[in-house]
Amino acid sequence: MSSIAENAPGKTVLLMGNEAIARGALEAGVKVCAAYPGNPSSEIIGTLAKVAGEMGLHVEWSVNEKVALEVAAAASFAGLRGLCAMKQNGLNVASDFLLNLNLTGTGGGLVLVVADDPSGVSSSNEEDSRIFAKLGDLPLLEPATFQEAKEMTKTAFEMSEQLGLPVLIRSVTRVSHARGNISLDELPKGGPQPRFDPSRPRISLPAVANHKILHEKLSRAKQRFEDSPFNFYRGPENPELMIITSGSGWMYSLESVINLNLQDRVGILKMGTTWPLPENFLLKHFKKTDRILFIEEVDPFLENNVKETYAQNCIALGLKSCFGKASKDVPETGELNPEIVTHSIQKLLSISYEPRPAGYAQRVHEAVSEFVPVRALGFCAGCPHRATYWAVKVALALDGRGGFVLGDIGCYSLGLGPSGFGQMKTLHAMGSGAGLACGFGQLGRFGLEQPVVAVCGDSTFYHAAMPALVNAYYNGANFLLLLLDNSATAMTGFQPHPGTGSTATGETAPVVGLKAVCEVFGARAEVVDPFDVSATVETILRLLQDEKGVKVLILKRECALVSAKKQKSLYKVEVDQGRCLGENCGCNRLCTRVFKCPGLMWDATAEKARIDEAICTGCGVCAEICPASAIQKEVA
Amino acid sequence: MNRGLKGLEEKVISQNLCAACGACLSLCPYLRSWKGRIVKLDNCNLEEGRCFAYCPRTEVDLDGVYQKIFGKGYEEIEMGPVRKMMMARAKDPQFTKKAQTGGVVSALFDFALKEGMIQSGILTPRDGELLPQGKIIKNRKEILSCAGSSYVSGPTLEALNRGPWKGKERIGIVGLPCQVLALVRMKASKLEKKTPFDRIDLVIGLFCTWALDYRPFTAFLKERVNNVLIKKLNITPPPERILEATAGNKLVRIPVDDIRPFIRPSCRICLDMTAELSDISVGTVEGKEGWNTVIVRTAMGENLLRRAKKAGIIETKSLPKDNLNHLIEASLLKKRRALDALKERGGIEKGYLTLSADLVKRIVSASGEAKP
Repeated sequence: MSSIAENAPGKTVLLMGNEAIARGALEAGVKVCAAYPGNPSSEIIGTLAKVAGEMGLHVEWSVNEKVALEVAAAASFAGLRGLCAMKQNGLNVASDFLLNLNLTGTGGGLVLVVADDPSGVSSSNEEDSRIFAKLGDLPLLEPATFQEAKEMTKTAFEMSEQLGLPVLIRSVTRVSHARGNISLDELPKGGPQPRFDPSRPRISLPAVANHKILHEKLSRAKQRFEDSPFNFYRGPENPELMIITSGSGWMYSLESVINLNLQDRVGILKMGTTWPLPENFLLKHFKKTDRILFIEEVDPFLENNVKETYAQNCIALGLKSCFGKASKDVPETGELNPEIVTHSIQKLLSISYEPRPAGYAQRVHEAVSEFVPVRALGFCAGCPHRATYWAVKVALALDGRGGFVLGDIGCYSLGLGPSGFGQMKTLHAMGSGAGLACGFGQLGRFGLEQPVVAVCGDSTFYHAAMPALVNAYYNGANFLLLLLDNSATAMTGFQPHPGTGSTATGETAPVVGLKAVCEVFGARAEVVDPFDVSATVETILRLLQDEKGVKVLILKRECALVSAKKQKSLYKVEVDQGRCLGENCGCNRLCTRVFKCPGLMWDATAEKARIDEAICTGCGVCAEICPASAIQKEVA
Repeated sequence: MNRGLKGLEEKVISQNLCAACGACLSLCPYLRSWKGRIVKLDNCNLEEGRCFAYCPRTEVDLDGVYQKIFGKGYEEIEMGPVRKMMMARAKDPQFTKKAQTGGVVSALFDFALKEGMIQSGILTPRDGELLPQGKIIKNRKEILSCAGSSYVSGPTLEALNRGPWKGKERIGIVGLPCQVLALVRMKASKLEKKTPFDRIDLVIGLFCTWALDYRPFTAFLKERVNNVLIKKLNITPPPERILEATAGNKLVRIPVDDIRPFIRPSCRICLDMTAELSDISVGTVEGKEGWNTVIVRTAMGENLLRRAKKAGIIETKSLPKDNLNHLIEASLLKKRRALDALKERGGIEKGYLTLSADLVKRIVSASGEAKP
């Protein structure tokens, strides 16, 4: 893999979209980079962290996106270039700061990259972050190719500095996570001396006056976008249909038009600057056709804004037919792909086209099913969260008062599914489990008899649950907070956090202890190893009976994937098939039918369980749940 | 009709008809008890299972069950087969001092152990919080720790299923009528046996009119005694009927009517007051403090009693006619009330019992007078 820090102008390298953004930031002379990890944005800061030393950068994993943006903004206020990256949900967290930062303006270039996750493949929601650009009157760029990802980052820094505004870049999974060829430019040397100018305070007040200034800046951005190279048209002079697209929609549209062989009938207007829209540029191209199809990921942001521009000029432009999400010619939700785009074009032009032979999907399925094991979305083998949810399930059932688990964001969100035994009953934002528990924990006075349990990961705790814990103690909410401490931000790729003892750049850091923090906030905190299932069940049951205020149970056990990299497994686990009860009364396949760790297999020939040695991580939890002591563990 | 955990859940657990006898516990990982409640932890999709087969509240064919134990059907409708009846009490003050009434159960059990008739027993001690649990006991000290009652039913039979049992170890067991019924169901079950029922040589049944639901009852008690640890519970005989709770140095008196709401619904549909399927049944004697009523039902029971009496372990007296009549009346009343409760729940035939119309008629019309 090429190093993004290679100073080789003109060289072509293969980079992931997120690496291209990181490279663009380096070429723009970025000095301070901060983020909270979140798919699909994590590799931007992750990549920069690796070259922080040689490039002389400060790169950090901040505790949350708002702090990350504040860290990058501080660099900008001191005249340095700052980069902040996050996923779409992260922008919700950072938005309070962002929607004041737009009024105070910035100094050194400040670029905020938001990577959206269409279909919410690794997210709790499907959200279009572009709305924030319009909401905050901020310029927005949308890369459609890997080269653009790099070039737009450089342009964004430059524009930010010219306008004195943060500039947003919106990526999507297929741009961030795919790889393509990038032509490198020179890496700058040196940089300005940072200094905060006290005569130029960064204060959003007076709001109205600053709002006016903001609008003036935005109209300058609009002017600049009129001749941006990121916007262009490809196609016949008078197409039967003109696609207006941005981001990954460009590649999908291009592929569809070529596949359908419609290059002389369909044109594509590719927009790279999607807020504010360059009005004159659009008007010029509107005249080419009276049928327009919008292709873009998630919400009809471009579609609605283009229609606004059209409405403003409709008398001059005459009647146009618009197709897209509003007309339902494009699916309103879910990620797009070339097949969907092809289908929309076909429908509008009444063309029949078979993208692949009938029965193709079925044949592929049959061909691979022999080699690909069927696995449900769930926890890894040896994941401490499976053991935790097992204990929670048992404890809540035994308690018998209908206790329920308020969920949060992390690997353990999978607790909503079979591998968490369906225990998790709510899922919203980072820290919302503990926050909701603060509310449920007050309902006892109205007669709520159900025990209230919230789960929260270690990283999520530092991110957003700490205020909820303070609130719980202060307002006397009655609930049990389970802190699932797996010592990693596992879901996003094992980034370190304040509890891990190291920084983004691998330096040793002071450890912010979970137990100590909870106790400082007034909560009673205990620690248990979730692999000790019976002790965990007992502790949870005991804490559930205690109905006075907030209790914290820290379930401490390192993420199985982190452990696997560092040490050999705890146990060698085997099934004594002679003892295994299989499907008989007394077991009925508890391990493979209910517990369902992927390390356990049902041996259909022997009608007994067995261990999949390739997958088992040797946590030994299944030995504890086996009713026949057929699963045996031996210290490895 | 599912005759596994699914059926058990539908017919018993979800209907709040569980007797908490413990017959279904420690057989599989799907059922566990906590604080007097039997809890289903996960779904089991088997069509047939021992949990259902052993349960005293699923598909009980009384005639078949009596055939299994006594070689004859459910004929003695008053209070089951009786070989002998008497009043008795233990002679050793160690037993009488600790006992709820006459100490006969403890004394007989201790004797059976000493004589090698059994090598271990299953009794039901209570923990400091009054929670009853089945326990394997081997000596007098352990027997004494189980004496007394908390009027709460507990999963005694779990101890039988759990074991461990060794070699030729023979077992004696003291149980409530529902537990004794479950034992017979274990014996009658055609499913693969993992239950060591065949080791049981002695079943001493306890008279029981009802048992209380642990959690609501203890929550109520705690409030009444201001959270002071309860040492002993006793219900005074009729007509007074007061629950006396010894809490610390204080005796708190609670009218029995106040605790009736905590009676397990399962007890209301139970026909058996005198543990009719035991070898020996033991209860109190109204108006004769310190004496037990003893009903000997089997040859084993008769043998034990004879030897114990001969060895001077217990003393006996004949049961006065009035007491006998009272007992029969009470036993029949329980049966009639249970039949009424079953009718209220949608009909006897929809309940857990198979009972011929003729038998129902006999129970309803039987007189409380002892046969000459």
